[in-house]
Amino acid sequence: MMQWFLAPLGYTFMQRGLLAALIVGVVCAVIGSYVVLRSMAYLGDALAHAILPGVAVAYLMGGNLTLGALVAAILVALGIGALSRQGTIKEDTAIGILFAAALSLGVALISSIRSYAVDLSHILFGNVLGVSDKDLILTALLGAVILLTILLLYRPFLVLSFDPVLATTLRLPRELLRNLLLVLLALAIVVSLQTVGVGLVAAMLVTPAATAYLLARRLPAMMALAALFGALSSVTGMYASYYLNVASGAAIVLTATAFFLLAFFLAPRKGVLWGWVHRLRRSD
Amino acid sequence: MTDLDLTQPARLDLEDVSVGYNGKTILQNLTFQVPHGHRVAVVGPNGAGKSTLFKALVGLLPLRSGKIHIHGQPLGRHHDCVAYVPQRSEIDWRFPVTVEDVVMMGRYGHTGWMRAPSRTDRAIVRRCMEQMGIADLASHPIGDLSGGQQQRVFLARALAQEPHILLMDEPFTGVDATTLETALNLLDDLRTRSVTVLVSTHDLTMAAQRFDEVLLLNRRLIAYGAPEEVFQAENIRTAFGGQALTIDGVIVTDQCCPGEEEHFHLHPGGQR
Repeated sequence: MMQWFLAPLGYTFMQRGLLAALIVGVVCAVIGSYVVLRSMAYLGDALAHAILPGVAVAYLMGGNLTLGALVAAILVALGIGALSRQGTIKEDTAIGILFAAALSLGVALISSIRSYAVDLSHILFGNVLGVSDKDLILTALLGAVILLTILLLYRPFLVLSFDPVLATTLRLPRELLRNLLLVLLALAIVVSLQTVGVGLVAAMLVTPAATAYLLARRLPAMMALAALFGALSSVTGMYASYYLNVASGAAIVLTATAFFLLAFFLAPRKGVLWGWVHRLRRSD
Repeated sequence: MTDLDLTQPARLDLEDVSVGYNGKTILQNLTFQVPHGHRVAVVGPNGAGKSTLFKALVGLLPLRSGKIHIHGQPLGRHHDCVAYVPQRSEIDWRFPVTVEDVVMMGRYGHTGWMRAPSRTDRAIVRRCMEQMGIADLASHPIGDLSGGQQQRVFLARALAQEPHILLMDEPFTGVDATTLETALNLLDDLRTRSVTVLVSTHDLTMAAQRFDEVLLLNRRLIAYGAPEEVFQAENIRTAFGGQALTIDGVIVTDQCCPGEEEHFHLHPGGQR
């Protein structure tokens, strides 16, 4: 049994992959709590796809791919904020426009590079076993920045998300905080790229947080539970990927989905089963 | 509380204020002063701009023109001196916060945004919850409460802000008896603490009996002063138009459906 757990750890690429997946699982789950509560799931997905042109440009210029992704994500995040600020168009429309434009730009750029096929599939679906020491350090640093900011600005973000009217009467800088949250989200997405890829980032943001939402009564508990589910999904997914020989990103997301389904049916108070029992009792 | 200058007669000054949104002007050329510690009933027909006035006073709507001064200083200079209880808070009732969490938010402006609440903050929150009769619900999720209880949570939060000026939009409309009584007791308590209170209401009797001044609005200021001065047949007719009838010298206003509908939102699944 012990051997079963330890065997994968004999490979350094597995050690690095596990660590990277753990960090991503926790960071995405914590910021994902705001994504779920503020209904930003679509935005998260769009941001992830909008990263492609940044990666392509970085590749063409021979620069750092992660850095390229970071610049693209932040530009698109702030662009969405700026387009929807005046209220002339709704936020989801702004997202739709920028998301499709950025994705098209990315595809156009990439189609001009012949040899790019392999790297592209890594960006779309992740390549957690290819994490280098340098990647790992960057992931840890960015993760720490995100978690620390969320911890420090817990109260402003709570009030902004729960009651924007109070946020205004207390004179919170709403635009600044909203943009900061978008930038943090962009960072989290860039950090997750190597683990789960563009296609599955949204699940890392939303699924563990939604699971925690069904179980928690308060936001700190929701964030802690989300982090726990994120971490558990990452580790379980990595082991599943090692022993069943399936893609790691997909294994992680499927594990997270399994946790969600369990909570959806069995959660106290909010679960489906709970509702049935309650109704049966009442009809007696 | 900061630099409270009691020698200054007017605590809330409006000077030729016009407010509107979406290209429409709702309130025009409002000029009035509320002395420190007074209780003002804001009265007028549906769509008169009562909610709009409150929103302008807390900075939710920009001013088209004119000036608002609080303690002789422009709006926004005193960060935590105005508290506002909307008619019905447009929040997600399924948000994972407890009653105590929500009331504690009233303290953030005082405590600072980065610091953990002090023992004093906790004591104030506890006292405000007790005063509003919701202390036993402290650890309940807000989604579990009844409408009246939810209203009292927001009153408790406004109280926890320790405001100099408290604005309440229709706190007596559509609430249960307990909440109504708590809100009325709150009014008396605030008077002893010299908090300036502005309350919008459809209940003209209550406005006449419980308040120092009445502000009669209909897109502009119709009358402002002691209730007996304001509640003259002519003023009422000007403000309410066809909605007012005089029967044997008693003025009756037709307000069968109180509340401005656009402010009323039901949240599906929120009231479990």
